[in-house]
Amino acid sequence: MTRIETRIPFGPALSRRSVLRLGAGASAGIALAPLAGCAGPTGAPGPGAISLGLNRSLVSLDNKLNQFDAAVTVQRAVRQALTRIGKGLRPELVLADRFEMTEPTAWTVRLRRGARYSDGTPVTVKDVSTALKMYAGVNGSFIVGLFPEMPTVEPVDERTFRLHTERPVPILDQLMANILISPAAANRPGELSGGVGSGPYVVTSANSGTGEYSLAANPRYWGRRPAVERVRVRFVPEESSRVVAVRSGELDVIDTITPDSAEQLKGLPGVRLDRTSGTRVNQLFFNFRKPRGHPLADPRVREALSYAIDGESLVRDVLTGSAQQAEGVVPLALKGSVRTGRYVHDPGKARKRLAALGASDLKVKIIWESGEFPADTSVMEAVLEMLRAVGVRATLQQFEPGGDILQWRQGRRGDWDVLGNGFSVPTGHASTSLQGMYGGTPEKEKTRDTYQGYVFPEIAARLADASSETDEKARNEKLAAVQKRIWDTRPCLWAFVPDVVLARRTRVRDVGLLQLNSYDLAAVRLEG
Amino acid sequence: MTRYLIRRLGQSVLTVFLTLSTVFVLVRMAPGDPASALAGPNPTSADLARIREQFGLDRGLLTQYGVFLRDLFTGDLGTSYSFHAPALDVVLDRVPYTITLSLSAIALTALVAVPLGVWMARRADTKRELGANVLTIAGQSMPDFWIGVMLLTVFAVLVPVLPASGFTTWGGLVLPTVTVAILQMALISRLVRREMVAALASPYVTVARSRGVSTRALTWRYAMGNSAIPVLTALGTRFAAMLNGVVVVEVVFGWPGVGSLVVRALETRDYPLIQATVLVTAALAVLVQLLIDLAYPLLDPRVRLGKAA
Repeated sequence: MTRIETRIPFGPALSRRSVLRLGAGASAGIALAPLAGCAGPTGAPGPGAISLGLNRSLVSLDNKLNQFDAAVTVQRAVRQALTRIGKGLRPELVLADRFEMTEPTAWTVRLRRGARYSDGTPVTVKDVSTALKMYAGVNGSFIVGLFPEMPTVEPVDERTFRLHTERPVPILDQLMANILISPAAANRPGELSGGVGSGPYVVTSANSGTGEYSLAANPRYWGRRPAVERVRVRFVPEESSRVVAVRSGELDVIDTITPDSAEQLKGLPGVRLDRTSGTRVNQLFFNFRKPRGHPLADPRVREALSYAIDGESLVRDVLTGSAQQAEGVVPLALKGSVRTGRYVHDPGKARKRLAALGASDLKVKIIWESGEFPADTSVMEAVLEMLRAVGVRATLQQFEPGGDILQWRQGRRGDWDVLGNGFSVPTGHASTSLQGMYGGTPEKEKTRDTYQGYVFPEIAARLADASSETDEKARNEKLAAVQKRIWDTRPCLWAFVPDVVLARRTRVRDVGLLQLNSYDLAAVRLEG
Repeated sequence: MTRYLIRRLGQSVLTVFLTLSTVFVLVRMAPGDPASALAGPNPTSADLARIREQFGLDRGLLTQYGVFLRDLFTGDLGTSYSFHAPALDVVLDRVPYTITLSLSAIALTALVAVPLGVWMARRADTKRELGANVLTIAGQSMPDFWIGVMLLTVFAVLVPVLPASGFTTWGGLVLPTVTVAILQMALISRLVRREMVAALASPYVTVARSRGVSTRALTWRYAMGNSAIPVLTALGTRFAAMLNGVVVVEVVFGWPGVGSLVVRALETRDYPLIQATVLVTAALAVLVQLLIDLAYPLLDPRVRLGKAA
């Protein structure tokens, strides 16, 4: 037999067989390498370290463009604001040791003595004024939209300054909790992916592409040193994977979990659930762009429809008890909110009223974006059946995230009747939510910038008046009155407030879950 | 050989370019608006207009394509809308994870599937092959997300010896690798069996056997030598597909590869990120195909690259 010797047409002279053997050896090495890992640790964070599993990728430790609940916890561990929203949604001082309204349109603020960044440089008044300018310069910023107007800074001395506004902004101390302060020279009108912060932790490694961050206690922190030395932040998008990881001890804390996952984790050894009432309201909001004469333009029809919805069943059976039916137009956890009424289930009354109003053969189209709230599809299917039970023919249209729902909401793509939507603000105050949803004016509606066409000039004026009232008691009274007025307009078919739920390993203590779905990482302790 | 290489490289560049251009048009034809996805909740029309202007989304498709081509030739694939970082950098952060998982899975596949296929071929149509047949059919039938969840439940929860998600230790590679490889092993082993059965029945094997060539040599040198090219092609094709992302497995195991990245990019209509991902994965896939073609002469000395058979 003739032996065929082939040479590789390029590179060093190797026999065909030797190359094949090399390839087989390399394949074996690559395939078996993971098995060597079996002898190593299983990914558990180990003593002195805590591992957090986030449901969204933490793109940066800045909040100019990315502010979601779990991110806030990590962002604030590295960068801080003058204030923060603490327990009971009250503003607490952080980088400021004084934050006081000294005139209706001016607040006097003093920076805390010794407050400094992780590189040892002090936090300055210029850093604050620069931060405000940089936030204002971001296109499409969620944070700036919370401010009725951005304040300007007037320095008084090295540590003291005054924040000025054109009109009174009585919750400026709460709003400023969202402006993270960074050194002026490094700040810019976009996400800060690097740089130093004044928080209790510093970043030791970061990969924004994979959403993985390692934090270590800041040795130069101006406050009390955090109890946990190292924090590992991981992005685990799939909820079932996060649940498995917390069960196995690979992750210590996972947040923003759905009712289904909470049920799975309830009662498991080594795992605890922390739960508190939330500040987000999920609504089946009516389309207020209906022409005069359309049944849904009549608040009595909207009210009659709401009698068809069995909210108790939805909360108990679909949301597995992890939410409360709304009893106001904003969540009751928010400061300044009041009870305005309850959703009542009475299908007989719904049918009778609809008939009396000449709306017996009503058809409604419900639209929503997938993932807008937990168990969204199940809620919508149940609502469809409830409406059918009172003779209303409903159709559902679900949009994928990133799709065209905004165009639909603005009425630019097609007509709809009810929108499944969630609304939350990180200020902890009812006035921000109320203005966001119900402060629509005819001017804003010209560009379709109102909340689903909700335009009641009288309500908008009363909201503006209440929101600029500097006397807290008078403000709360005005807000209460306008909330009752809004309820009477029957803006929602139904609404509920989901609980904020977090799962943690039992070795993690003092998490102190806030209603804003975040917590102070520096206060967390580890046992064992 | 050099001319062949140059021609193939030219074809590869053209393939990647056409793929990119097709994706450029298709993503812009799909429903959705990057400005809406990028803006915070309840943005105003002015916010959206400013974002569109900032990212050049308010220009015509042809103008956008022209800008894209100009930037492409300077190596600039734009800034990711959602990561606020150069899109290519974001993708390159993820690529090592995808390559690691793909290499690991294809290597495991080759190591198990080739011997298994040969074993099945040598025992073709016997009772002993039946068991292996059942296993490979089961491997083909089970969805990878189900395999992943089962493996997770057993090895990360019930007997917690391996990490449940991510790539924090080398152990984290085991479950995703096995999950990806099971289906591939089933497919490749059946292919090897089919090729080997045909090869073992060939006249040259009969002649060799009559000349007293050992069974081992008959199997591995004669039959396998002639079956290697279709097997390598299949392995290469599977490997190239894995480089495009094994999305389901990445999601189940929280694996930070390009598959889950492109899903996110599609959800947020992050055009630069989609384009950068397509560029990198298409380039990798084309490179793998090229390497496979170049490997043919190693497996079969009769093959002469660039010459008609």
